[in-house]
Amino acid sequence: MWRTIQINEQSAEPLYYQIEVQLRALIVSGQLQEGTLLPSIREFAQQLKCSVITIRRVYQDLEAQGLLRTKQGTGTFVAKVDSADRDRHRLEAVVKAMEEAVDAGRRVQCSDEELEALFREALRRDDG
Amino acid sequence: MEEQQVIRLSGVKLTREHFQLGPLNLNVPQGYITAIVGPNGSGKSTTFRMLLGLVQPDDGEIEVLGQAVKPGLGVDYKQQIGYLEENAPSHDHGLRAKDKTAFARHWYPGWDVNRYRELLHLFGVDDGLKLGKMSKGMRRKYELAMAIAHDPELLLLDEPSSGLDPLAWRKMIDVLHRHMERGDRTILMASHIVEEVKRLADFIVFMIHGQVMGIYEKDELFSSWHCLYVQVPDANIPWEEMPGYSSKEKTGSNTVKLMTSAAQQSEVWLQERNIVIQGRQPLELDEILAELMAQRALHSASRTKGV
Repeated sequence: MWRTIQINEQSAEPLYYQIEVQLRALIVSGQLQEGTLLPSIREFAQQLKCSVITIRRVYQDLEAQGLLRTKQGTGTFVAKVDSADRDRHRLEAVVKAMEEAVDAGRRVQCSDEELEALFREALRRDDG
Repeated sequence: MEEQQVIRLSGVKLTREHFQLGPLNLNVPQGYITAIVGPNGSGKSTTFRMLLGLVQPDDGEIEVLGQAVKPGLGVDYKQQIGYLEENAPSHDHGLRAKDKTAFARHWYPGWDVNRYRELLHLFGVDDGLKLGKMSKGMRRKYELAMAIAHDPELLLLDEPSSGLDPLAWRKMIDVLHRHMERGDRTILMASHIVEEVKRLADFIVFMIHGQVMGIYEKDELFSSWHCLYVQVPDANIPWEEMPGYSSKEKTGSNTVKLMTSAAQQSEVWLQERNIVIQGRQPLELDEILAELMAQRALHSASRTKGV
């Protein structure tokens, strides 16, 4: 599952952040279940062609957020995420994406009405 | 986490008739793959030979694995190091590979015969052949297996992929990552293969004309060096004052391509001046090297002119 994580080299967002967002989404959506053993830092870095420093930072951040836990000598596992946390984490990425969409709209002088119309249209396209 | 240094060079200088190396100051951290990148003749191979005590510097101090490198170092020092030379020696051409192995393994208490056999098998090397009869690629794979089979703490690889076909190259990348899996081993490699550095390195050291231009964390390096395509406003813009400015090139009647080593700060600077960024692209390793070389040439030119 973690193999679906992809890096966008053109993006201005730092690498660790891109990876962190995607890994967090996999965990809070339940696609990576509690107790899943994640690859070693070196293996993950090899897969994504990034440095182990970046992966270590991702693991440390997600550990601090209670989404991962590391057992000395065994590896890094997906932690138990309680449902309140899960909801909060689940929506976090969505809220951020919405804010980014609003920013993108403002850059080309979209009005509130235009943005709302665009949002409804996107929903409609998705349904169809 | 306390970071340990496996290699320390301080003020290391070596002067030859046609070449001056240093003063080199460089620390290589334990547990990482550090790649030295630079044009031919920048002193990479000589640096490796100094780390092994094969060449003595005229000045400065070298410490490897906590030990000062000086003439007459004991065998136990080299037992912890694996070294892949840039060019295989030719004096042993008459030897069969397995005879060289039988001789070499005596020096290494940590020699793991299973690992050696596994590597030969993986690379498809027949150690019954005479070394002089091996193709360049097979010889390279044999030497690589020899450098790793005693499970060294520190692996020094000088242009490791030289002579390898793409398939063998991928196997090598995999073998090296697996060697690093335990987390406390260190690789220092010299390479000018962009893709190899991208796939392996955690840290990148630029070395140009005998000078270390700095050590950078790889992902940080690639996220800082970008080229930005911007629309030129009517007003006169002092591009050289942009943070991270490296060079510029006119790409159209009103567009300019800016090379920067501090992409985020550059963007802020441009936005403050209402300059529209039309496109951006991360630089490849060779492009970054070219920028650094141009900067260096510029600096030494202004020095000789006394500016």
